[in-house]
Amino acid sequence: MTGETILGVKDLSVTFRVGRKDFKAVNRVNFDIARGETLSLVGESGSGKTTIGRAILRVNPVSSGEITWKGERISGKIPAERERRLRQGIQMIFQDPMASLNERAKIDYIVSEGLLNFHLFKNEAERRAKVEKALLDVGLLPEFASRFPHEFSGGQRQRVGIARALVMEPELLVADEPISALDVSIRAQVINLMNRLKRERGLTYLFIAHDLSVVRFISDRIAVIYRGRIVELASSEALFAKPIHPYTRSLLSAVPVPDPEAERAKRHIAYDASVHDYSKVEPAWIEAEPGHFVLGTEGEARAWASL
Amino acid sequence: MSGASKRAVAVEAGGSGANSDAAATLPKPILEARDLHVSFSLRGKRLTALRGASLELRKGETLAIVGESGSGKSVFAKSFLGMLDKNGRVDSGGILFDGMDLARFSKEKEWLAIRGKRIAMIFQDPMTALNPLKTVGEQIREAAALHRGLDRKASRLAVLETLERVGISDPEMRYRQYPHEFSGGMRQRAVIATAVACKPEVLICDEPTTALDVTVQAQILDLIKSLQRDLAMSVIFITHDLGVVASVAQRVAVMYSGQVIEQGTVEEVFYDPRAPYTWALLASLPQLGVKGEELYSISGAPPSLFREIKGDAFAPRNPNALEVDFVHEPPEYEVSGTHWAKTWLLDPRAPKLEPPASIKRLRERLGQVRAADALRGSEGGRL
Amino acid sequence: MRGPIPEVAGELFRPAIFDAADAERSGYSRYSYWRSTFRTFLKNPLSIALLTLILVLVAISFAYPALSSTDPNKVNLDTSAWNAKPGAGHVFGTDGLGRDIWARTWYGTRTSMLLGLVIALLDVGIGMIAGALWGYVKRIDRIMTELYNVLNNIPQTVFLILLTYIMRPGFWTIVVALCSTGWIGIARFVRNKVLMIRDAEYNIASRCLGTPLWRMITRNVLPYLVSILIMEAALTIPYSIGSEVFLGFIGLGLPLDTVSLGNLVNLGKNNFMLYPYQLTWPTAVLAAITVSFYIVGNKFSDASDPRNHV
Repeated sequence: MTGETILGVKDLSVTFRVGRKDFKAVNRVNFDIARGETLSLVGESGSGKTTIGRAILRVNPVSSGEITWKGERISGKIPAERERRLRQGIQMIFQDPMASLNERAKIDYIVSEGLLNFHLFKNEAERRAKVEKALLDVGLLPEFASRFPHEFSGGQRQRVGIARALVMEPELLVADEPISALDVSIRAQVINLMNRLKRERGLTYLFIAHDLSVVRFISDRIAVIYRGRIVELASSEALFAKPIHPYTRSLLSAVPVPDPEAERAKRHIAYDASVHDYSKVEPAWIEAEPGHFVLGTEGEARAWASL
Repeated sequence: MSGASKRAVAVEAGGSGANSDAAATLPKPILEARDLHVSFSLRGKRLTALRGASLELRKGETLAIVGESGSGKSVFAKSFLGMLDKNGRVDSGGILFDGMDLARFSKEKEWLAIRGKRIAMIFQDPMTALNPLKTVGEQIREAAALHRGLDRKASRLAVLETLERVGISDPEMRYRQYPHEFSGGMRQRAVIATAVACKPEVLICDEPTTALDVTVQAQILDLIKSLQRDLAMSVIFITHDLGVVASVAQRVAVMYSGQVIEQGTVEEVFYDPRAPYTWALLASLPQLGVKGEELYSISGAPPSLFREIKGDAFAPRNPNALEVDFVHEPPEYEVSGTHWAKTWLLDPRAPKLEPPASIKRLRERLGQVRAADALRGSEGGRL
Repeated sequence: MRGPIPEVAGELFRPAIFDAADAERSGYSRYSYWRSTFRTFLKNPLSIALLTLILVLVAISFAYPALSSTDPNKVNLDTSAWNAKPGAGHVFGTDGLGRDIWARTWYGTRTSMLLGLVIALLDVGIGMIAGALWGYVKRIDRIMTELYNVLNNIPQTVFLILLTYIMRPGFWTIVVALCSTGWIGIARFVRNKVLMIRDAEYNIASRCLGTPLWRMITRNVLPYLVSILIMEAALTIPYSIGSEVFLGFIGLGLPLDTVSLGNLVNLGKNNFMLYPYQLTWPTAVLAAITVSFYIVGNKFSDASDPRNHV
């Protein structure tokens, strides 16, 4: 981790038009990702976490604010050359291995799709070699290239999805709930793979998830998101040791841990958003401790700190 | 006492001797499955979903059935209510409930006295149980009236009571609403209300919280726990989430490839697992992992249930497999009065194998738990 | 498994050799979409029977002209051979000018089938591309929907008649008349399907990889449409043939020197009371083709729905 910021999200807002009403899915979100780190974005359904991931990949349009990649703006209208660089530098891993691969295409085509789009190879032999290497890197056999997705298990398909992203040699991987749709015993494979790739290639991850207890193992820092706003951001250990925002504490108390003793000692804390009164004073992004941020008013921060 | 006497007793070190006298005082099971074989005809072939699954549910307890896709846990639950798909059938084995063998039921009429009334079930998707064209209140009232023989007025009152009890505020208004006007969590509460309005003896929950948000899940789990206490129900809770198991169950049965391969109290199974699959399952959990260490991962996939499986179903994926695992199916070995596992490793002739590092850490945890229990005196040992 | 422990030799308690790569190879279900589709389709005896019927009829209608020497248009100068009942020499009898109805039926079937096929191919071809673009490119949705509303509400009959008047009766007139409004129905159908898969994860993945629109349509969208397109084609054929017959009724069909089922039916109806066989046989063949294509098309559509694959 060199501390160099490679992805910057500044005051990002994404608004969707649903019927006649506007729905603000992401509301003035700010965070940076440093090279080599794993930042996890944790929230429940409807929190806007997937929207942020897709906005970075330019799948969702940004309503206000901006996203920068290595210093350059990548949101809004950008020149084709910059978009090209973006597509090679940032890639995405999807949630559902059953839906994220084209059932009617061979694994060979699926993995080389990005290479074909930007013609990142000199000849057919080089393309095939790249595909083979990508498959081997994720622990699959090269002979799988001539088969179709339906011939493989969920865990294997998910690894094909990772190979597809890896073959582009990206620097940042946005992983949108990559293990939620997998069986419990298969998740470890994918997690180990992601960690190994991070070590070997110095990859940076934005890991989007809904399960706090799972991200603890892989993240350097965790951001908790609630209804389009990031409410807390800290290193994973600090977040677990000293959660500040009431939503974070509620979330932590609600996540079941596979440890009967710990579960018996637990008490669920409910979160009621109406405890915040932001009608007169806008909440600010306060640094409660070095590197540990929380969204709230000065008064709230003082109250929470004393708990 | 059914079952335990027929099991082989494992000779092992560091076992839980303390529980064997507790075993003698265990209540009789209220619902018991014995060596159940269930198969389906699919695309001209036969798929064996359950290959001799056995289970014991005691009165007043919550038993979790945990397994991954293909383990047969849903089929198991459905067989307790005769709700197998048309192309499925019970090949052999028995389901004992109140002196009856439910596996022998062949007519719908026989099930009517049991289903909904004495054994109720809730599913993952509430919309499979809720009729979108009827008001929620009306649906629950019909069920209550049918099973409890109440008249219109009495059943309506019972429903309002139940709605309140499951945490649906403003029950009068909600009674008149349709399912689509309810949120996901509230629909699940409505389904729970339908299930408990008839005060069943056994409640089977098939992954009821899998599709819900974490905070809503916590509320629903709390609700099920409190209802179980108040109505003295026995609950079977099916899930793939080991965290939920730890939170909600007293005993747990681990399923793999159509069989129950380990059963015991949650403390026993989490802190002292014996079957290799349970080891692998627990060791692969990121929640129990240590940063910087690789997680234990299982390669491959479960075997095809279309073909006959020889020996231990987990053997091809088990790096610690013995040769006998490929030849003979392991019997159930007793670890304590309440804990048994289906693995050749518990045979006295088997070599002593080291479980993965995270399991060893869990075992240390058990030692701590036991020590704390001993200090607390008679309060210890939840059975 | 309860009961006694099986007798197990002690030496079996040795650790077994474990091959991780082998474990990786354990393939999953060998389910193939197309194989399952065909199997489900062929399970129904009706489908097989009708499909065979179609193939037989088509085979005869294409083979007969090539193999036989009977001229369907040759007027028989021997008046005693006119309106002959079905019998030796003339399987279906002869018509008012002594022409062999058996020969005319098969020539006519060939013409009508050709007409149906050409219209089906054009309709489906244009409809498929238009529909895929319509569904995929959000910006043209409004325009296309308006166009659809206009074209779909034009009374087909009136339009057909009008166009035939303008362009004069003929094979290609009918093709143009039917295709110019038919494609949009198929396009709409395709567009709805595309909307369903447009936001599927694998399409978003392709967008993230920078895949251009044309490749998205050809590799991500069209392969999923093949089954509907086959069904649509199968249903367009009877519709086209039927339209040709209808046009014949109102005198705007194919020119009388062209042998087609429409013309046969038309001529046959004039003498129906006296010589019913002049109408019944061509009509029987016409009905057989139309109904068969319709039923086979629908059965195929059912079979290609993965939910019906047991």
